[in-house]
Amino acid sequence: MQFDGDALTIGLDMSMEEIREFEQFVRPRLEYLETIEAEEGALLHSSALLALLVSLKRTRSALKIPFLERGLMASETYGTVHWMYHD
Amino acid sequence: MTKQEQVKAIFIEEAGEIIEKLDVNILRFEENSADFDLLNEIFRGVHTLKGNANAFGFTRLGEFVHHFEDVLDHYRTTRDEIEECQLELFVNSVDVIHEVMTCELDQLPYLPDTYPECLAKIKTLMAMKKGDVVLVGVQETPAAFNDLAAEFAEFPTMPMDMSVENSIKKHQDSRKDGLNLYRIDLTLDNDCYKRGFDHILFLKLLAEKAVSIESFFDMGAIASIDQFSHDENGIKNVCIIVLTPLTSEEIGGNFEYLFDHEYRITLISPAVVAPVEAESKVIVQEIQEAVQNAQKSVSKNTSAAAQTGAAAKSTIRIDTFKLDELFDSVGELVIAQNFIAQNERIRSIEDESISRTIETLSKITKRIQDRVMSLRMVAIRDTFDKMKRVVRDTSKKTGKALHLNVLGEETEIDKTMIDSLSDPLIHIIRNAIDHGLESDAAERQAAGKKVEGNITLRAYHKSGSIVISVSDDGRGINKEKVFRKAIERGIITGDENLSDSQIFGLIMQLGFSTAETISDLSGRGVGLDVVKTSIEKLRGKIEIESVEGEGTTFSMLLPLTLAIIDGMLVRAADEIYIIPTLSVVESFRPEREIVHVIKGQGEFVSMRGQHIPVIRLSDVFDLQTEHLEPWDGILVCVETEAGRIAIMVDELVGRQQVVIKPLGKSLAKLREISGGAILGSGDIALILNVDELRPLIEAAHG
Repeated sequence: MQFDGDALTIGLDMSMEEIREFEQFVRPRLEYLETIEAEEGALLHSSALLALLVSLKRTRSALKIPFLERGLMASETYGTVHWMYHD
Repeated sequence: MTKQEQVKAIFIEEAGEIIEKLDVNILRFEENSADFDLLNEIFRGVHTLKGNANAFGFTRLGEFVHHFEDVLDHYRTTRDEIEECQLELFVNSVDVIHEVMTCELDQLPYLPDTYPECLAKIKTLMAMKKGDVVLVGVQETPAAFNDLAAEFAEFPTMPMDMSVENSIKKHQDSRKDGLNLYRIDLTLDNDCYKRGFDHILFLKLLAEKAVSIESFFDMGAIASIDQFSHDENGIKNVCIIVLTPLTSEEIGGNFEYLFDHEYRITLISPAVVAPVEAESKVIVQEIQEAVQNAQKSVSKNTSAAAQTGAAAKSTIRIDTFKLDELFDSVGELVIAQNFIAQNERIRSIEDESISRTIETLSKITKRIQDRVMSLRMVAIRDTFDKMKRVVRDTSKKTGKALHLNVLGEETEIDKTMIDSLSDPLIHIIRNAIDHGLESDAAERQAAGKKVEGNITLRAYHKSGSIVISVSDDGRGINKEKVFRKAIERGIITGDENLSDSQIFGLIMQLGFSTAETISDLSGRGVGLDVVKTSIEKLRGKIEIESVEGEGTTFSMLLPLTLAIIDGMLVRAADEIYIIPTLSVVESFRPEREIVHVIKGQGEFVSMRGQHIPVIRLSDVFDLQTEHLEPWDGILVCVETEAGRIAIMVDELVGRQQVVIKPLGKSLAKLREISGGAILGSGDIALILNVDELRPLIEAAHG
């Protein structure tokens, strides 16, 4: 996880413990964070991270999360994963 | 190679051709987006690619082209106006297809970064066109939902059921014997993470044995951060569509530690998707056609002899390796024919029928040689078409408006050379746009030129060679600046008497760059020397002409083929050597007055104000011969990288097309020789690498 002013870069392959740390880190900083970038090449390790990113976005719509905004992730390891937002 | 592998190899080749054509057509369409015939052609290409990709298990490529095809189909049927941003999306989509194809072929586990973004844009565009999906930010929603709309304004909302249904349909269409299609619904309890389970974990397990797997995470129930807890599962449902050889029991084994209510496995039989069979039948038919076509191609290759003339198509595919073998055999035939034609004992037979037969043999051999040569020749059009994209992208990147003129697209060139020509050509074109053309419109207008720059790409034949030139009507090269820079860089001393062409040629020396700014396109001083090396590997050379204020032309002179060269046969002592005719400027017996000896520097001959070093072949190869004075021998003046040299030989033997034969390992180390050739007499002659012939004094110090 790298924090550069208003942009945060995270690895997608976080363990549950790392997700907990990420959640604790980001909660108090959510108001001024501009972007959360995902490191290139890594694959999602837990659906909990995906859920956390959605929650952050839901809380603050101006926050940019390019990985989440793509709506899908394609890899040999997991196939094509889509995520949906709707009620 | 098994038949299946052969079929796949043919698919790969055909897919490559389709993608190359798409590359060209999409740019033509960008220029004229009202050309719906062209759009139809693009659609057909994508359509075929989709069928082929799915048939051969390239599902990631198949998925992408499936959606791209939908968009193209929409526009070709509705004839809706296509906006500029959509054209850009089309061009980018073809790029993605290119990249995904590479990933598929190399079996890379990941996809290009542009894949998901481009696919999402295509899906969004299509969904908007169909009216299925509305961007929430612009939809008319009750006031109560406005907050949500603002939150997710950027995201298209595709109903999950519809997406799942589409996925089932797609997989159903590409299902093959021995594979089962399952829908798995995961509704894991809130505490699943604490129990050590994760949706992603199950995806990984299933993917290990899957031919294709697609999953859909319903994130609708995820709470905002104040109610969120990372270790409690808030994902309502994850639906997984998997095509796999596994049985239901084997699939179920992956979930045996979950509670029964947390998962549901449904085997999808063909009947389940009957309502959507109309379209799927079409796709299945496409796949069948693709396989059948590929199999037909295989049988063409393997049993061409069995085909009757009536049944055969007008073209067949031949492995280039077989062509190379044929080409070598023809080379041997030419040598044998030369041997017969030049054999003194045969020629001394005074028999008209023998003379006539030898003459006929000579004609037939020449005809066969020409025909076989032509098999390897392809029009340079495809390469030029690729350059249109380079020009377009470079124009956009540099912000310079320009017009591309293409001439001589029909000119044919050896296929082996075509493959090696793209990179040098790309670099020269980028260089011409980036540095050749004026940096802004004002500069061009001040020079009395139109705002729009001109780049001309031209191919033509010239004296048995092929010339490919790139011209710009930009600022031209400042000769004095190049000369000064070359001295500064230590490339020349300044005492050299260089022609304009040689001065311009200095910009292709390693590390030379007069560009004031370095861009990511060119100007790092590492490009043009690589271009030069690449062209020389093809036994060609580059000439530069430039007029300051008017423009520059880079001309690449290439031999017609890599296997045969036109050579001048010369004799030194009792040995015959071959000088590539492309390098020869002139040959002559010098007057005594124009030959000078400069102490410590060797012999020179004065020609039109230039002092050209004389190189004695007998010295280079240490041949035992009588020491002749230059005016008693013949000088062959050749153009080399380091300027002109005069090669002194005893006699000019003649000019001949020779088949180049590689040298063995021991001779390959001799830099002065680039190959060997068998002459008509059966003797072997060495082909000189004139760039490595240096005056003896220089060689001794070098």
